Amino acid sequence: MSFRRRLLLLFALTVLVSVAAVTGIVSVMTRRAFDRANDERTAVLVAQFRREFTRRRDEVRRRVQAAAASSAAERMAVAAAQNSPDYSSFLDDAQVLAEAQRLDFLEFADDRGTIISSAQWPAKFGYREPLAQQSPPADAFLKQEETPSGVVFGLFAVNTVAAGDHKIYAIGGTRLDRTFLSSLDLPSGMRVMLYENVSGPFSSDRLIVTGDPVQNPQALAPLVEKVHITDHDASSIVRWDSGEDETVNAFPLLGEKNQTLAVLLVGSSRKIYGELRTEIRSAALLASAAGLLLAVVLSSIAAVRVTRPVEELARAAREVASGNLDTQVAAHTQDELGVLADAFNRMTHDLIDNRERLVQAERVAAWRELARRLAHELKNPLFPLQLTVENLLRSRDQNPKEFEETFRESASTLLLEIANLKSIIHRFSEFSKMPQPQLREVSLPELIQGAIQVYEAQFQKMNINCRKEFSGTEKIYADPELLHRAVSNLVLNAIDAMPKGGTLTLRTSATNTSALIEVSDEGTGLTREECDRLFTPYYTSKAHGTGLGLAIVQSIVSDHGGRISVKSQPGEGSTFIIELPVRRELLSAGGTHA
Amino acid sequence: MKRFSLLWLAGSSLLWAGVALAAIRPHYGGTLRLTMRQTPQALDPISLVQADASNLARLIYDTLIVLDHRGQPEPSLAVGWQAESGNQRWRISLRNGVSFSDGTKMDANTVAASLRAANPDWRVLAGTDTVIVQTAEPHPYLLAELALPRNSIVHGGLQPSGTGPFSLAQWTPGKHLSLSATEQYWKGRPFLDSIELDFGMGDREQSASFDLGRTDVAEIAPENIRRARAEGRAVVTSSPSELLALVFSAAPQSDEEAHLRNALALSLDIPAINNVVLQGGGEPTGALLPNWLSGYGFVFPFQASSERARQECALAKQRAPLLLAYDASDPVAHTIAERILLNARDAGVTLQLTTHGPAGVTLARIPLASMDPQTSLTELTRTLKIPTPAFTGNSAPEIYSTERELLRSRRMIPLIHLRTAIMLGPNVRQVALFPDGSLYLNDAWLEVQKP
Repeated sequence: MSFRRRLLLLFALTVLVSVAAVTGIVSVMTRRAFDRANDERTAVLVAQFRREFTRRRDEVRRRVQAAAASSAAERMAVAAAQNSPDYSSFLDDAQVLAEAQRLDFLEFADDRGTIISSAQWPAKFGYREPLAQQSPPADAFLKQEETPSGVVFGLFAVNTVAAGDHKIYAIGGTRLDRTFLSSLDLPSGMRVMLYENVSGPFSSDRLIVTGDPVQNPQALAPLVEKVHITDHDASSIVRWDSGEDETVNAFPLLGEKNQTLAVLLVGSSRKIYGELRTEIRSAALLASAAGLLLAVVLSSIAAVRVTRPVEELARAAREVASGNLDTQVAAHTQDELGVLADAFNRMTHDLIDNRERLVQAERVAAWRELARRLAHELKNPLFPLQLTVENLLRSRDQNPKEFEETFRESASTLLLEIANLKSIIHRFSEFSKMPQPQLREVSLPELIQGAIQVYEAQFQKMNINCRKEFSGTEKIYADPELLHRAVSNLVLNAIDAMPKGGTLTLRTSATNTSALIEVSDEGTGLTREECDRLFTPYYTSKAHGTGLGLAIVQSIVSDHGGRISVKSQPGEGSTFIIELPVRRELLSAGGTHA
Repeated sequence: MKRFSLLWLAGSSLLWAGVALAAIRPHYGGTLRLTMRQTPQALDPISLVQADASNLARLIYDTLIVLDHRGQPEPSLAVGWQAESGNQRWRISLRNGVSFSDGTKMDANTVAASLRAANPDWRVLAGTDTVIVQTAEPHPYLLAELALPRNSIVHGGLQPSGTGPFSLAQWTPGKHLSLSATEQYWKGRPFLDSIELDFGMGDREQSASFDLGRTDVAEIAPENIRRARAEGRAVVTSSPSELLALVFSAAPQSDEEAHLRNALALSLDIPAINNVVLQGGGEPTGALLPNWLSGYGFVFPFQASSERARQECALAKQRAPLLLAYDASDPVAHTIAERILLNARDAGVTLQLTTHGPAGVTLARIPLASMDPQTSLTELTRTLKIPTPAFTGNSAPEIYSTERELLRSRRMIPLIHLRTAIMLGPNVRQVALFPDGSLYLNDAWLEVQKP
């Protein structure tokens, strides 16, 4: 990833993290404030419910008391006091009394629990009323009552009617229904629901709602279940199908045995909070977008001021690596980047100086080497020349009669050594006059075929098997004459390495970028030291030779931008490998290694 | 002096006795006012029977035969009869000198036409002062059937007229009927000049009307009989006649269904329903015919057995609630249905109450059709639309076995035989209820109240 992109990413992350943090803090604070306000309103409404509940409880108690004080109740009590009570005449009395006292439920039961008369279910006469079989609560209480239409929920009170030693119970109550909920004064955005009969699976039929019906009552099922199990308050946020949220607080309504009979649900709309949250998020998104834009601008400015000098430095370094030591970098600023640019420029100056010194030293070393080689090469032929001339002078002085024969022999020797000198000087001259390659498209197999054709007769004479392994029609850009000469030198060396015959193998292969020429022999092989010095001019392992053959091959290969190497082990022959670039634009200074 | 006192005492005694006799002797005149629950929409005999207003048919029409209080046939418009060909052909001799209220003389043709209209399966031939009734199967109880109100002799189409003691004066269907005495009634003019009937009045309405003095004869629901007597009203009741029963829409389709019906029957606390809900206004029963009519009604049990009911329920493997329909306009029927639901639930049978739509079982009231047991059973099966049993004789064992087979078919569960009851105004005399609940007004008269 580029520095510019990293900078942009860093600026963008900074902006986003900052905006997210601020948004989160504001959202949390807003939610807490909303929840606090909601809790306060809910508490007020619950207090109102409790007040209304207490009032209703007192009213029920009073009405049941009035029903118990009626003459019909007295007659029932008298009948219950008989040995064989006959309650048949009281079938409708409870209903009449319930209507008179505006009670939804009214039952009379004797002290054995037998129902004498029932308003809510007249047919239940003679059945047992469990409440009359135990000590009924003194105060009004919540209770579930079975009716023909199902189990309903109400506020009940019990009163006794005595007749002598016997007594009957008047158990009456009113239903906690929509009318009761409608009596509550609800703040805006709040509503009250009552879920009666928590036993059994959740049923929307048991949910009493004031105002608009609930869209999906099943959404309240988990909350109701939780209150039923724990007998404690609970709350949750319910998301309705319309997308609006509502905080629903649930309160258990307990019966006479402290069991949860019904659940009071107080709903508080979170619409305002939702709208506020949406606005906060919109603002955050807007700020994020602006921040990102700013980040892009700033990062671009910073990148221009920072990355461009760095890129210039990188480009200059690549120039230096490619050999152009004259590269300079402009220092536009006085900061660290400017200091870096100055240091780079000083470095390139130093490199240039060092290179010049090195080149000079190499030249001096090369001249010394050349002088040494010249002295060595020339010394050999000159010594026989000196001996021959001394021999002539001696023969003229000591054997005038054999001087003529001696003169002819000596002249022949002198001419031979002079020819040798001329050969040495010719090779020097040739080596110094190595031309630059004239590149053109060359087929390697064809070139090699041409190079070895000259030596076919020699191969037969010396019992050498020439094997050609060409992988294709590799073509490269090269100078065919120079390359021909290089290959010929290698073939000659291979022939010299196999005086008793053997197999000479020539291979070609190619990749996308380079082509390989391999020349392998089955000679005696070379040691490692010989391999290291092999390409040094005038080094030779042969008994005769100038030692310039491989140096010429190396020079040609180097001028083509390639490399030459050798693989050899004593007794295993040698393989010379020339690697040449296929593309013209890849031509550069080569090297050697074994 | 002593002799004069004795004479004076004897004379005044005779005078007072005469006055007393004069006070209890029927008077002609007066209008009897009745109120009824029913709302008949037509006055032909069949419509009246279907509207459960058979009593009206007896005021306007006569039948060929009437049954006495023992269920024995007595002459009415027929003076004699003879069964031929193994009770498949009956020759009936007609009374002479009888006219319809529209003046038409009654003859064999009108009688035959009337009988054919009421009984399409019969072949009725008119002779000279005789009609011959031929049936496809032996009909030993044809006479009892001829005594049914639906076989009243009627003349006329849209404006039917009869030979009864009263004739139509004014008629508002379903609301009011005015009848005037037939002066030339063949049995003798009735004592009353007219009868006014108001229809469609519930028990409370009738009671209020009675208390306000606007009604001379009002109906009392069975559950109100005890209270009416306790309030000092003059209450006349019939023998237990109307059958309150659970009637199933079809025969049991499987053994499980039969077990379910057995469980239901065994779960019902019928005495509690009769004593409390109906305030003793009937008699618990396990039979179709009341004991006073059949003589063997007590043989069929009706006592509940919760343990056996639960055992039957376990075999029933009930999968769905059984729908029980009842008359929504009758609050007592509602209470009875609720009680049945509770009793059934105790035994494990699940019932669901409904007031409309098809139901598997219905709480129904079926009035006793005749004083003849065979005819009653036959009419009962016709009312319930179940196959009518074929009687070859009219002996008690045969009737018993037929009734037993009907009960075993589990098409119905008898609950209670209800009494019919009316309350009479203080000046109403000679108004009676036959044991089968039918109202007899032919000899009714009104005592003149001294101011």
